[in-house]
Amino acid sequence: MPKILIPTPLRQYTAKENAVTVSGGTVGEALDALAGRFPDLRKQIFTDEGKLRSFVNVYLNDEDIRYLGKAATPAAESDTISLVPSIAGGAALTAPPLSKEAAPALSNEEILRYSRHLIIPEVGMEGQQKLKAAKVLLVGAGGLGAPLGLYLAAAGVGRIGLVDFDVVDFTNLQRQVIHSTKDVGRKKLDSAAEKMLAINPHISIDRHEVALTSENALEILKDYDIVVDGTDNFPTRYLVNDACVLLGKPNVYGSIFRFEGQATVFAYQGGPCYRCLYPEPPPPGLVPSCAEGGVLGVLPGTIGLIQATETVKLILGIGEPLVGRLLLYDALGMRFRELKLRKNPECPVCGAHPTVSRLIDYHQFCGVPRHEAAPAQEAKVNDGEIDVMELKQKLDRGDQFVLIDVREPHEHRIASIPGARLIPLGEFSKHVGEFDKDGDIVIHCKSGGRSARACGILRQAGFAHVRNVVGGILAWSDKVDPSVPKY
Amino acid sequence: MIRIEPGPWKAMLAHAAEIYPNECCGAMLGVTDGDDKTVREALRLDNAFAGAQAARYELRPEDLLAADSAARAHDLDVIGIYHSHPDCDAYFSKTDLENSCPWYSFVVLSVQKGEFHHANSWLPNFDRTEAAREELQY
Repeated sequence: MPKILIPTPLRQYTAKENAVTVSGGTVGEALDALAGRFPDLRKQIFTDEGKLRSFVNVYLNDEDIRYLGKAATPAAESDTISLVPSIAGGAALTAPPLSKEAAPALSNEEILRYSRHLIIPEVGMEGQQKLKAAKVLLVGAGGLGAPLGLYLAAAGVGRIGLVDFDVVDFTNLQRQVIHSTKDVGRKKLDSAAEKMLAINPHISIDRHEVALTSENALEILKDYDIVVDGTDNFPTRYLVNDACVLLGKPNVYGSIFRFEGQATVFAYQGGPCYRCLYPEPPPPGLVPSCAEGGVLGVLPGTIGLIQATETVKLILGIGEPLVGRLLLYDALGMRFRELKLRKNPECPVCGAHPTVSRLIDYHQFCGVPRHEAAPAQEAKVNDGEIDVMELKQKLDRGDQFVLIDVREPHEHRIASIPGARLIPLGEFSKHVGEFDKDGDIVIHCKSGGRSARACGILRQAGFAHVRNVVGGILAWSDKVDPSVPKY
Repeated sequence: MIRIEPGPWKAMLAHAAEIYPNECCGAMLGVTDGDDKTVREALRLDNAFAGAQAARYELRPEDLLAADSAARAHDLDVIGIYHSHPDCDAYFSKTDLENSCPWYSFVVLSVQKGEFHHANSWLPNFDRTEAAREELQY
């Protein structure tokens, strides 16, 4: 006859016995016998359907019966059966309210507008008022910022800040659906704010026409409850992360490249931050931006809306936030995967002993120049560089020199400079031996970044006369031959 | 009412501060007289939650079983479970509630910036849909 140990709180049902010996040849029979003898105990451990309650684990000696024979596990005279609850928990899920603002009233117009929210019990009037009281900052009014801005405005987020200093150009329109063809040349801030206010005049929009820097970031971010990162470069991404950690603001992160995207929520209630995931930036140039590598136009719609969803959940305080989980999206396979993210106790920003306590120089940290995207016409020509006009004259004169294009073949098919030899940067090192070290060599790419690296490779190898085409083929199209398409 | 004696109370606070910024968890051993509970010993248990532990904890049932044997060996009982909420109030969260057990008192320690801030004790109901606040003395 096995012995069943009775946990303290259940002893009130067993006449204070802390162990009860029962008949039965299996664990299931023993528990039935126990419940038969102490009817009030039955509902503590069994459901009305006679199943063990979900929080009750049954151990035979020191083994969980789920891994033995479950209820049919034989129980002998000398065996001890224990009832052990499953216990877990944590501060996660129900977050304290993000905004400390008093709940603003909704007008009858607003009540009608938000009707489909108000009739969801989890949102209701209270939730919609939380949305109205919320202050969200969107860093970037581009690919990710477009769906974010449109949907957060429509959802009734009361105050939305936009940070962007760019103007709309034709290459944006394939994905940045907040801007239209007539907006080309306008400030992205004005174009985006106009569309958002057209959708919802009950919200207010703050326009921050600046590049976010270490000097202004804390001042701009401090007034918002949530920061949404829609940037496309590493210095700003680290800057946004560090500023969010220092200010204790959640950072709703998303990033995109070609057919793949990522999203998560950083720096929320003690969760991991961007630096816990990537302590160091990648070497400059290793990870191309969308401008360099391309992006499927529909991709930022998916990722931006995941960010928008997380933002709305954080404001409402419902559901399970995407914290401690990195969501990976593969558009070609049409699959979502999830990686667990852990907080790094050694993290220099959010760890137990942080070494970063104020904002640093993020361009230096990431090893990239501050004004990498300067327009070609304003770029000055340094040593080791050549202007497109001079290149044209060289070609027209029939000078003896080698012109190399280090872009990819699919780019070469879009546009090319006559006479250039195509050697993609990835294969460039293999071809170094084919050129004369004392020869005159000129290298170009799309805008000058990759060709600068190719020039570096040749100079390292001892080449004396190597020059980089400032502004690349884009400058060629602007200044020499407008029939060459820009892409 | 649950009263925590100074020895175990100090041990719980030290545990919470040490594990910060993660959540700590453990068992409270003591005696029960009707609704009056006295905690005599605090027993540290491993946070077995597989993901980020800054806002989650999980107890291994076998650890709880070992805690129960340890309690019995000292003529005490497991009367409650404690855990910390780093940089968060000592409320009983939805996660806490849904993964609790109506048999025990649940003491939540709020640790703000690494230091103890306040605490509450909670008694989950049978369906784990609500938790009542229990008077806590320490």
